[in-house]
Amino acid sequence: MEALERLIYARELSPVRDRMIAELEDIDTLCATYRSRIYRYALLSLRDPDLAESVTQDCFLKAYRARDEFRGDCSVATWLTRIATNLIRDSTRSRKFQFWKTVGNTAVDIGAMADRLRAPGGSPETSLVVREELLKVWDAVAALPGQQRSVFLLRFVEEMELPEIANAMGLHVGTVKSHLHRGLAAVRKAMEKTK
Amino acid sequence: MNTNHLSAWEQEEYVLTQGTDQPAPQIIRHLAECAECRAAVERLEHGVGIFRSAAVEWSSQCLATRAQQPYVVSVRRFPVVAMRWVLAAAIPLVLLALVLFPLHVPSPHAVQPVQQMSDDALLDQVDEQVSVAVPSSMESLTHLVSTQSSANAAAQGAKHIVQTN
Repeated sequence: MEALERLIYARELSPVRDRMIAELEDIDTLCATYRSRIYRYALLSLRDPDLAESVTQDCFLKAYRARDEFRGDCSVATWLTRIATNLIRDSTRSRKFQFWKTVGNTAVDIGAMADRLRAPGGSPETSLVVREELLKVWDAVAALPGQQRSVFLLRFVEEMELPEIANAMGLHVGTVKSHLHRGLAAVRKAMEKTK
Repeated sequence: MNTNHLSAWEQEEYVLTQGTDQPAPQIIRHLAECAECRAAVERLEHGVGIFRSAAVEWSSQCLATRAQQPYVVSVRRFPVVAMRWVLAAAIPLVLLALVLFPLHVPSPHAVQPVQQMSDDALLDQVDEQVSVAVPSSMESLTHLVSTQSSANAAAQGAKHIVQTN
């Protein structure tokens, strides 16, 4: 009975899987569809545009080479995110001693970004407050441990669902939730400092 | 008015489950009634919201500056990378093969004993012939330059002629 259910499930899954594999075969379309997403995730994790670009390219290259191993048990986006997560982790490990460079880059970018986030019609005071809040939250997220930060980014920037994040990170949903609670607690603390 | 405010954990739970799971009904009910908790949740959402906007903005900006460069995923790198792995795998294999099957160089010790014996015999024969003072073809001449009397020599020569006749 169980085998029959599995067969039915496999047959139902097969067309979806075939469609996903066809998507993986066309690397140009794959890049066009998911590039901005993967790049954003890599950029926010590494805070280095060049390295993020390199990780993004490696991610698509790896996905293309390993397309035969794709089982279709998750979406292509989740699968790419999983590959990107591994690449980001590897890059972070090899870049521990270049932290000063990253900090310098981030400080400049955030200042410019906060100015752009000015609400239209908002007063200069409001803009200043938003800028201050952003700097605090940005630093709070940057200070999160690697895995917590990745989970936070995937949930609140990429808006992935908890099971998807769990799949991409190779974690249990409970662990993902726990990481998110810690991330939100850090954001709350940062926001309290700006009161 | 409900004075039992939502805990920090419940507020976070509400924020992180939004848009996916339905938050617990009691949390929704409490937020509808309690302005203080609603403000706290909104503040948390605001913090996450500005972070997201900034992140998307920064990423778009970086991508826009890179958009002028053609985006090519270098699939051609594959053979180079593959060659490195092939070489890396081949080196230990070659070393192993050299250890297991050393190159066949004929050594003097490997010559068969029968052949060695015949070679020795040949060398002895050569030595023997070389060590003879006068070669066999010139042996008859030695009699002519002998210190013995010429008469004896002549007699012997005559005898020899008779014998040969």
